[in-house]
Amino acid sequence: MAGLRILWSGTVVAVLYGLWLAWSVPEDSLQGPFSRMINIHVPSLWLAFLAFGVTAVGSVMWLIRKRFRWDRLAEASVETGVLFTGIGLVTGMVWGWAVWGVAWDWADPRLTSTAVMFIVYVGYLALRRAVTDPFARAQRSAVLGAIAVVQVPLVYFSVNLFRTLHQTQSIRPDGATMPDEMVVALLVNVGAFTMLYISLMATRLSLSRHAAQIENDRRLAGDDIAPPRMDNLQDV
Amino acid sequence: MSRRWFLFVGGGVVAALVVAAAILSIGDNITYYYFPNEAIENRGQLPDGERFRLAGTVVPGSIAEESDELEFVVTDGSATIDVRLTDLPPPLFRDDVPVLIEGSWQGDIFVGDTALIRHDENYEIPSEGGAGESG
Repeated sequence: MAGLRILWSGTVVAVLYGLWLAWSVPEDSLQGPFSRMINIHVPSLWLAFLAFGVTAVGSVMWLIRKRFRWDRLAEASVETGVLFTGIGLVTGMVWGWAVWGVAWDWADPRLTSTAVMFIVYVGYLALRRAVTDPFARAQRSAVLGAIAVVQVPLVYFSVNLFRTLHQTQSIRPDGATMPDEMVVALLVNVGAFTMLYISLMATRLSLSRHAAQIENDRRLAGDDIAPPRMDNLQDV
Repeated sequence: MSRRWFLFVGGGVVAALVVAAAILSIGDNITYYYFPNEAIENRGQLPDGERFRLAGTVVPGSIAEESDELEFVVTDGSATIDVRLTDLPPPLFRDDVPVLIEGSWQGDIFVGDTALIRHDENYEIPSEGGAGESG
């Protein structure tokens, strides 16, 4: 599809530009080169939050309208969200190992809540595998997708609500605690990751539509006919 | 039948993980860490040997090596506590960094065995004075 190709081309350019900016801005005086990781870690997790928000929208819309396009949207967004959360967790662990001195701490509310959020959405994907009937699958997924989104504000504000090892936000509506050039690099990378999200979603949804069509076609002939059961006959 | 079983197992695993994470985090102490003024205030509930985490900033010029151990002072801006670290500090340990030390009171000093850098939200470029701090 020409549209997808253009979309992905633009995304690759944006991601490369973002990475180049991340590489060329000055380093933080304490963290050294590891300060550059914020340009992957933060955009990934912000887009994961967006993705799970989109899933909640898809889930609620399915529950109201019962049209499979919403179910497909919800599912695709969980897949991208889980990917981005995983990237965020791994980059965070590398950064923590270098700067904190430890890669993980279960006592930290930000880390724990993010890990739980990751596991819950992996559970969403597992749940979908466990249900074969499309309608039931959509119903159960939608309930989980609509409820699980409450974790997003919990994870984001955990650093403000609780005592944490993880620092509070560096980018806030009222300003940033970073030099301007670092802010620019970070925001460009947020834009690049947004394009990456859109491209992944567009590709995945195209696949979902085709898969749904195949599944529908398969259900046309012979589905309602079953061979006679021989095992519950008495005296034949 | 096997699919429903898978569902229950999956749900059970998730629930178990959530509970485990919650318990593990609350297990050691209810409070994640104490600042020096709080550690001093609660000295009565924190007898010698009772492990907790101390958070503070390393007072510049206070770091000294004493045989195999490191001695320094942490502060929260008002109160200060003398610390002795029995193990290696993290790589970025230096003057003026926020630290998180695990250990216990031993008399008038805090003896710790694990130290982490508790990095704040500020990013700075060496040549310039600092970042735009907005609270």
